[in-house]
Amino acid sequence: MLRLWPVRQLSRIQNALGLTQTAFKSSQPAPAPDLVEVFIDDKQVFVEPGTTVLQACATAGVEIPRFCYHDRLSIAGNCRMCLVEVEKSAKPIASCAMPVMKGMKVKTDSPLTRKAREGVMEFLLVNHPLDCPICDQGGECDLQDQSMAFGSDRSRFTDNAFTGKRAVEDKNIGPLIKTIMTRCIHCTRCIRFASEVAGVDDLGTSGRGTEMQVGTYVEKMFKSELSGNVIDLCPVGALTSKPYAFTTRPWETRRIESIDVMDAVGSNIVVSMRTNEVMRILPRLNEDINEEWISDKTRFAYDGLKRQRLTTPFVRNSKGDLIPTDWETAFFDIADRVKNIVPSSIAGIAGCHTDLETLVCLKDMVNRLGSELLCTEESFPMINSGTDFRSNYVMNTTIAGIEESDLVFLVGTNPRLEGSLVNARIRKSWVHNEMCVFALGAPVDLSYDYQYLGDSFSVLKDIADGTHVLAKALAEAEKPMIILGSDALQKSDSNLILDTVRSIAKNAKKASKHPDWKVFNVLHRNASQVGALDMGYQPGVDILKCNKPNLVFLVGADAGKLTEDDILGNSGVIYIGSHGDAGAQMADVVLPGAAYTEKDAMYVNTEGRAQIGRQAVSPPGMARHDWKIIRALSEILGVTLPYDKLSDVRSRLAEISPTFDRPGRAEETGFEDISDNVVIDKMAVKGTEAPVAPVLLKLRDFYMTDPISRASPTMAKCVQAYDESEKNPYSRPEAS
Amino acid sequence: MSLLQKFANIGKVIKQNNGIVGTYLKLFRIDAFKWGDLVGEDKYGNKYYQNNYYFYGRNRWVEFPLSVGHDYDASQIPAEWHRWLQYICDEPPSQLPLPKRKWMADHVENLSGTDRCYVPYSTTRPKIEAWVPPKRNS
Amino acid sequence: MATPRIVQQGVKQVKPLMSVDRTEARRRVLNLYKAWYRQIPYVVKDFYLPITVKMGRDKVRELFLKNKHVTDIRNIDMLVIKGQMDLVETANIWKQRNHVMMFFKDTVNPKPTDFLSKFYEGQE
Repeated sequence: MLRLWPVRQLSRIQNALGLTQTAFKSSQPAPAPDLVEVFIDDKQVFVEPGTTVLQACATAGVEIPRFCYHDRLSIAGNCRMCLVEVEKSAKPIASCAMPVMKGMKVKTDSPLTRKAREGVMEFLLVNHPLDCPICDQGGECDLQDQSMAFGSDRSRFTDNAFTGKRAVEDKNIGPLIKTIMTRCIHCTRCIRFASEVAGVDDLGTSGRGTEMQVGTYVEKMFKSELSGNVIDLCPVGALTSKPYAFTTRPWETRRIESIDVMDAVGSNIVVSMRTNEVMRILPRLNEDINEEWISDKTRFAYDGLKRQRLTTPFVRNSKGDLIPTDWETAFFDIADRVKNIVPSSIAGIAGCHTDLETLVCLKDMVNRLGSELLCTEESFPMINSGTDFRSNYVMNTTIAGIEESDLVFLVGTNPRLEGSLVNARIRKSWVHNEMCVFALGAPVDLSYDYQYLGDSFSVLKDIADGTHVLAKALAEAEKPMIILGSDALQKSDSNLILDTVRSIAKNAKKASKHPDWKVFNVLHRNASQVGALDMGYQPGVDILKCNKPNLVFLVGADAGKLTEDDILGNSGVIYIGSHGDAGAQMADVVLPGAAYTEKDAMYVNTEGRAQIGRQAVSPPGMARHDWKIIRALSEILGVTLPYDKLSDVRSRLAEISPTFDRPGRAEETGFEDISDNVVIDKMAVKGTEAPVAPVLLKLRDFYMTDPISRASPTMAKCVQAYDESEKNPYSRPEAS
Repeated sequence: MSLLQKFANIGKVIKQNNGIVGTYLKLFRIDAFKWGDLVGEDKYGNKYYQNNYYFYGRNRWVEFPLSVGHDYDASQIPAEWHRWLQYICDEPPSQLPLPKRKWMADHVENLSGTDRCYVPYSTTRPKIEAWVPPKRNS
Repeated sequence: MATPRIVQQGVKQVKPLMSVDRTEARRRVLNLYKAWYRQIPYVVKDFYLPITVKMGRDKVRELFLKNKHVTDIRNIDMLVIKGQMDLVETANIWKQRNHVMMFFKDTVNPKPTDFLSKFYEGQE
């Protein structure tokens, strides 16, 4: 896999461009001496040398039409749509690929430029089918828009019987992406995305001229966790979404800004909604988290929101069957159960999608009932200062900080599947910044080269003792990062792993030349985990296994960590959640809650960044917002919580932690030195020296990890297609 | 027509309806004060009469069975008798039965207003598929 | 021309709608009330309402008393004008039966106010 030097240049240029822009705006000061003076439509602008003409035009506020050029991809210069006239140049030039020169005079709206654009557009349209009325890209198609804005107002196309029009066979590249290759205009954005961002060299071109085709050479599945992004990148309707095909037009949908909960990255998403139904999910730009990509699970698991839903409360009858009832009956049933038990044996478990509002309501209610047994499903070792300091369990350097780092050490994690966009950042940094990556865990395909150190715990110990090669590398690195996957910490003996990694991080930090740089990072898997730990939930259900609770509130807890043997007596399990999964099956009372697209809710991602997701659709049937269920239940149980409105809950959140009050910001963590030096009980640091390995190894494991994606037919199809392609990678997959 | 003949007709009506009380009850139930020849009876017990003494349009009529009480209506007449009653043909099905094809469905009266009436229902799939809890003991 | 000036000072220099002082406004209200009171038997009969005359008169009284806190003469006048319009529409049978019965709001369920009832109703 090549590292692309022009892209690196480009990112530097772009950084510089930001600076130039601000400098230029402030009342035309004397430009810095190294800037180049260019004239865009006789308007003088100063830009960094090496800037392309297209970017210089953007600085001047002129948008050049383009198909192949994309900010985050390398420059191809093959669509020719960005032709502009440059004075003293014999021919129009492709502005996306041409660097500026001193005194260059660019004309973006001259007759020659217009004629060039119209000519290019005419050629594109000659080879493009006229199927806009049945094309899924209709309404958001770059070709439609630009042919309106820049194309000719008349046609010279006479072959209306379509005797010689270009036609290309469609390719089947998996259950997610639908290809209609006749519509392809050969911009090669998808090819560049696959090889540069996703790191999968699956797509490419074959043939020349009119015989040119974009495809996978031999028919096979496009196996990438980021494959859905080529749908957004495609400027025409050649690559569209298979599950979304022929469902809605973009102008019919409402777009609601929300936050993804499929992993702990907290990608910013836009939920497209029509008639109270989620039609599709698209990425939303956030440079700090997901840039403009999202993973396939985020994008395609939305049909899981329509299946296996809890739409009415259930109560288990004397025969042991769950019977649908109304809310009042269900609440009184719970009240009866609560009446008969010792208050301190009531417990609450937060599942993987629980939002902050629900977490705070559950905690307040259980505390008011007189119990402290609150925990999350995902465990985290509670050695030394445990989860008392935020820096112990979040990604301290932030996701954007990965780009500053020059050495990344992955411990027991497969970031490609646990946090796909974190992995995309690491790959970006690996391509552009010559970052070195070391990994301890499983020898998985991370889409970039890394030095594999095995999965043995003794290697970690060697690094901590300073005898391993990596110890030296960490000490010499400018800004090293250690990313510890929470996957590796799920076993009961993971105390030792955490302790060793902490000591490695401590040593690296001591040797680091940047005192503010934080070395230790944790990559979580669950969207609720950091928020729950911030709020004071105990990580892991071990505490319940010791204490044997009588009554358990499962809030979306479907991982099956707690079994029926762990519950004392038969007072019961109460499940509050959106999907009928493992939790609802073992429950005695089921209360239907809302999924993440159905509520205004806050989530904290693995960086400790609180973000607000907005409600797109209403909860189905009798389902209610989770925090309201707990609020109403608290009134029945006689411990009424003092919040009636969402704003009341949010102010309560702000009381607990200021980080909850500043959505969108990753607050910098502090007290690393103190937390490093707290040694409460060295005896706790014991455990067998078992291999350190993540759980998610193959792309197959990525698709179905939580109640929503398990309920999703699209994700099931992905798993099926993956198995099929493993059996025979080059067979022709069945048309679906 | 002489007055005498009219009285004679009244006598025929009373005679056909088994006396004054029977005539009154018939008048009360189906508003008919008529005499005529019984042309036929269908399997539902409807009796069909004809008397060309009455003018065209009133010379063929039906008497519904007592079992339906006052809940009688025109949809209780089967198709073959409907033809005769509405002057589509002159031979009643009792004389000239219609060929019985295998695709011919049995006659059904109009069930509107009864508890067996047709109620329209949605055939669209629900947007949300609800979870059905698995049975524990079965 | 002396009287209007005194009146003007009395109503604080605002242009009156109809009444120039409280006495006149009160007289208009009472007249309207009496008119409604006398009309009720005919209303009940004409619209074939399922209520007694007494119920109708009680409702008129209730609706008048609903605005007893109003002291601004212009507001009172405006309410009287609207009541007059309503009366004309009722007396001329420009309304239909349900429009008259809408005064009784017998099919309207009151909206829940406390959290728990709102929760059961599923309303925000």
